[in-house]
Amino acid sequence: MSERLTDIGPPHYDKFLPPVVKANYGKWKYHELLEPGVLMHVGDSGDKLFSVRVGSGRLITTDFVKDVCDLADKFCDGYLRFTSRNNIEFLLSDQSKIAGLKDAIKKMGLPIGGTGHSVSNIVHTQGWIHCHTPAIDASGIVKAVMDDLFDYFGSHKLPAQVRVALACCLNMCGAVHCSDIAILGIHRTAPKVDHERLRHLCEIPTTIASCPTGAIRPHPDKSIKSVVINEPKCMYCGNCYTMCPALPCFDAEKGGVALLVGGKVSNSKTPPMFSKLAVPYLPNNPPRWPETVAAIRKILVKYAEGANKWERVGEWVERIGWEKFFEVCEIPFVFQHIDDYRWAYDTYRTSMHFKF
Amino acid sequence: MHKTPLLDQLESGPWPSFITDLKRVAGRKKSAADLLGVLERSYKDKITHWKHGGIVGVLGYGSGIIGRYIDIPEEFPGVEHFHTVRVNQPSGWFYTTKALRELCEIWDEHGSSLLNMHGSTGDIIFLGTTTPELEPCFAKLTAKGWDLGGSGSAFRSPSCCVGQARCEWACFDTMEACYELTQHMQFELHRPSYPYKYKLKLSGCPNDCVAAVARADCSVIGVWKDDIRIDQAAVKAYAGGELKPRGGATVYPKLDVKADVTDLCPTYCMSYDGKTLKIDNKNCNHCMHCISLMPQALRPGTETGAAFLLGSHAPILEGAQMSWVIVPFMPMEAPFDELKEIIVNIAEWWSEHGKNRERVGELMLRLGMRAFFQGVGLEPPAQTVRTPRANPFFFWHQEDFDAEAAGRKYIKL
Amino acid sequence: MALSKADLVEYIFDMVAKAQGKKNIKAMDVQKAVLKEHPDQDKNMIKFGIKELIDTGRCVYTYFGGSYIEIPHEEGAAKKV
Repeated sequence: MSERLTDIGPPHYDKFLPPVVKANYGKWKYHELLEPGVLMHVGDSGDKLFSVRVGSGRLITTDFVKDVCDLADKFCDGYLRFTSRNNIEFLLSDQSKIAGLKDAIKKMGLPIGGTGHSVSNIVHTQGWIHCHTPAIDASGIVKAVMDDLFDYFGSHKLPAQVRVALACCLNMCGAVHCSDIAILGIHRTAPKVDHERLRHLCEIPTTIASCPTGAIRPHPDKSIKSVVINEPKCMYCGNCYTMCPALPCFDAEKGGVALLVGGKVSNSKTPPMFSKLAVPYLPNNPPRWPETVAAIRKILVKYAEGANKWERVGEWVERIGWEKFFEVCEIPFVFQHIDDYRWAYDTYRTSMHFKF
Repeated sequence: MHKTPLLDQLESGPWPSFITDLKRVAGRKKSAADLLGVLERSYKDKITHWKHGGIVGVLGYGSGIIGRYIDIPEEFPGVEHFHTVRVNQPSGWFYTTKALRELCEIWDEHGSSLLNMHGSTGDIIFLGTTTPELEPCFAKLTAKGWDLGGSGSAFRSPSCCVGQARCEWACFDTMEACYELTQHMQFELHRPSYPYKYKLKLSGCPNDCVAAVARADCSVIGVWKDDIRIDQAAVKAYAGGELKPRGGATVYPKLDVKADVTDLCPTYCMSYDGKTLKIDNKNCNHCMHCISLMPQALRPGTETGAAFLLGSHAPILEGAQMSWVIVPFMPMEAPFDELKEIIVNIAEWWSEHGKNRERVGELMLRLGMRAFFQGVGLEPPAQTVRTPRANPFFFWHQEDFDAEAAGRKYIKL
Repeated sequence: MALSKADLVEYIFDMVAKAQGKKNIKAMDVQKAVLKEHPDQDKNMIKFGIKELIDTGRCVYTYFGGSYIEIPHEEGAAKKV
């Protein structure tokens, strides 16, 4: 036990900073984008740091990381970083090396972009690759959507930046609730109880206690030694399945995708906003989820056509009104759009400020 | 190798394909090959095949390892166990290739060779290994100076924006604050003892590049108190089109300073007469719009620090929340004692009163803001609300009467 | 009266053992239970009492939606049923 190292925390970042960053730390003056994906930061000293931003999958392999390291060794003296949206940034102080780096990146098949008024990389969760409660896959939908929106990654042609995020169930471990466009996996049916397995696998008191809405009760027939679920109370969070593997919460046909739009976290002009329900249900359609891809493109294109300069998706929708948003995006308005959860009243219209 | 006709359809198209990448490793790793097999099965069945494991870990820690088991191990024995290892990332996600290669070497030896750079909380996510590999993997990591990140009802690995390492807008040293707090909270990070998860994210300015306001219970967002610094010559250069709007982040060729900047100011505190940009700084609400549009002309002031906001979380259970203002301004100098104290005090109050799986933001709503402020020993600033209450249901306590009799402000604690 | 360190560790262990399978116990439940019977017990000592049980492997942290302290056991998800 004595030689076992614990609680050392992560390495100090100082070990990983390029010399130009160390020399200008806290003394940067301004930045420019030389082109989509290529940033230049200029220090008070006049020193320049160039960052070449590259999109990649979030799910990667050590082979891929080593390939990326080869590029950073060749062009960046071994320095690189990752962004909060799973992009890679190659960091250089020698501008003359950018062209060679860009060629090598393209040769690897990686896209350069993700800056400014683009659709940057989609932050997302694990999906079917690793998670026990997802309604949908994550990496596959992201790949399909980014293939479709590829032009927007490497360009600045939108009215403002558009942040897309995906969470594969309503637990939202990807916290997509403040994204311009949020892709959300939804279950629409309560868990099915496998009484026979439950008896062998699960503790009944702790399983009952795991339900945040109190929807699980002991089975009325004591000889069965299982539980029953009060389905109208279930919110499909899957926590009972976390506790007890005999309560799977997925349904191959009924699960699917919802889209929420108009969230943001920046304070620019307007305060941060939540994403709100735009499309309540799209079918779960692997391997390329064409309905989801098409619905996102439609919203993005309508936004690009309709928004004013500098307007985020949410600012555009608030300005034109949600009834107009549904109209221009040709999305039918249904009961599911109307909030009936805890603070629903805040969302009802109490003014004459509406449009026909 | 399993046949994967559905997944193969994700190999075409311009965006990098994770399937192509995984297939490279599948040749040398049984776990990666079986993972592709399971994923193909999920694409066919349209359901997941993973089960949650809640017990595996490394000795002494309750954090950092997420147990996973497959529900069809007889078909995919390579992923019968497929646990996640969370490795605490360095501040700002900066690396040298040497460090990354060392991490890869450890993961090639002890795991599936699959990973995320990075997970939503910020950690490096090593995806997929077996129970016997956990301790040796952990030992190799610590020997190279790495440690596990948070999971469960623990203090989670803090994360931050790039801050002063590369951004002229950072109002405090986000990376050092992130490192300091991570070190300060090691016990709580590795030994889950809170009602539920407790997250910290730090953004250097109100643009909030790590989404602190939405994704962390404790949201620290940089801000300045004095005047925006103006370079009038550069303003003219923007107006004249010599400098590109937003530093070239758009296709718009030229800035109309009035229409694009001053008319869109949310507090109407700016004006431009074609020669001089004037800002009534007392009325600026630090939205960053003008600064973002003219990075060579405008910069945040020099009296800088951060606001502390509290309470955000994803929808479970009461619905998603964003953090709200608790302390509008605190100076942010290393070693960040004020921030450490407030984070620890809040955790103590929440641990005392919180129910199992109740986030601190939900507890604040359940018990009320007065109980919160008094419980953690803070005075309520007016900035904490967007608007005061509209209902008449406000009540008085004996201590309010005592304060009134003593001629003190009611809210004095 | 406050318990000695050794007695405190056994006290906590018993509490966890008795709850096993019936109720999920959190670190804070342990602290509250100890302080109810022994109001003068030092909180830090309780924290390190739990740490000792975990470090010696007599107890483990588990995670099932929340983090709990339990006696080590085979978990449901690892069983082949």
